[in-house]
Amino acid sequence: MIFKADMYVKSEKELGKKFTIVAFGLLMLVIVFSTYLHHFQPHVLKVPSVTDVSTWRNPSFEQTNIYERMTDAEIEKMRADGIPGRGLLPVIFDSQGDLTAFLFASLCFLHARRHFGQWMASCFLIGSFIFTGLQESIAILLGRFTAGAAYVDAAQHVTYGTYFFCKGSLWFIETPVAVCLSWFWIAYACVWIARKVFPKMSLLARAAIGGLIALNIDLWLDPVATSPEFMQWVWARGDQIRILGINHSNFVGWFILIFWFAIIWEWLPRLADRMGRFKASFAFITIILVSDMGMLIYLILHNTIIVAGLLSLLGKSDIYFPQGW
Amino acid sequence: MWSKIWKNRVEFYPYASIYLFWFLGSFVSSLRVQNRPGIVALGLITIPSILLITIATIKTYRKLPGELRHSGVCDADDVG
Repeated sequence: MIFKADMYVKSEKELGKKFTIVAFGLLMLVIVFSTYLHHFQPHVLKVPSVTDVSTWRNPSFEQTNIYERMTDAEIEKMRADGIPGRGLLPVIFDSQGDLTAFLFASLCFLHARRHFGQWMASCFLIGSFIFTGLQESIAILLGRFTAGAAYVDAAQHVTYGTYFFCKGSLWFIETPVAVCLSWFWIAYACVWIARKVFPKMSLLARAAIGGLIALNIDLWLDPVATSPEFMQWVWARGDQIRILGINHSNFVGWFILIFWFAIIWEWLPRLADRMGRFKASFAFITIILVSDMGMLIYLILHNTIIVAGLLSLLGKSDIYFPQGW
Repeated sequence: MWSKIWKNRVEFYPYASIYLFWFLGSFVSSLRVQNRPGIVALGLITIPSILLITIATIKTYRKLPGELRHSGVCDADDVG
């Protein structure tokens, strides 16, 4: 009996390994295809030009948050030179470049592997990569192809799209791989820190604190990264609540993505106990895909019902905090 | 102290990543931003997170000798 149980555990681990190999392989294929589309067939997904901002549509350059905050000299420079720091070296070596993201992601993956094992660490990496990369890409493409019509509020508030990334060498659909990797390691580090500082807290509370740590760091990071000196990504005008010049839905997204992913990932061992690692891996990915759709629906409802309700309660048409950002 | 940290460096990877990212991506980068008065001072908003990361780093360091070598935190069968 013991021999049979050992064999079962061994075969389950083998299947778990096979799953991670296949999942990494598929992810690589999507990255290669997306990178080819982005750089060599930009017309397919209407990729905005980084050299000529006058060609931007949904949003046009004039319909972005950054345009409102720019000086006349900055606007002229942008029209003449395009996005700053767009060479290969800054894209790779910047603090949010591919190489930096890969380095930090590797460090956190090694840590995760030591504490939770290869399979759990791989599931965190693959799961968070797909979860956030897909969510970001859907939001970007919805904005680009429908001008964010899905986000238009009940009062038919005008939107000009959502946002898009300007820099990246490797891409996952329309999200830079560096961003997906950053989501992975930031989520992992924040959830780990919450676990370390509050070891006796419930899973929900720890996941919430992990999400809040990440959101708190982003409150400084986002205004810097979207400034005219960097322009890592560009926000379209239209969100009725803006915090530090950034659409508030960004911060809502940061919190929910990390909070929810931490919960799903910590369920994983229980799923594996019930159905084995192989089936648990598929169930995990399925839950992630369903969660992506759920999150999209939530964000649409959030922007159409909750925000509109909040603003009408306060008797305002929009809230920009602080003014002038 | 440093040799103890170096021997157990993997334990500090998440904290080191976040500190470095915060320092380079936010602090150093904010120094380059012009025409945004207060963007460097905006960093004060991240004090709660930096505090929590520091507490986690200290807790990890303090638990190094006993917990990490003998507690079985790591499931050896799973690793690799």
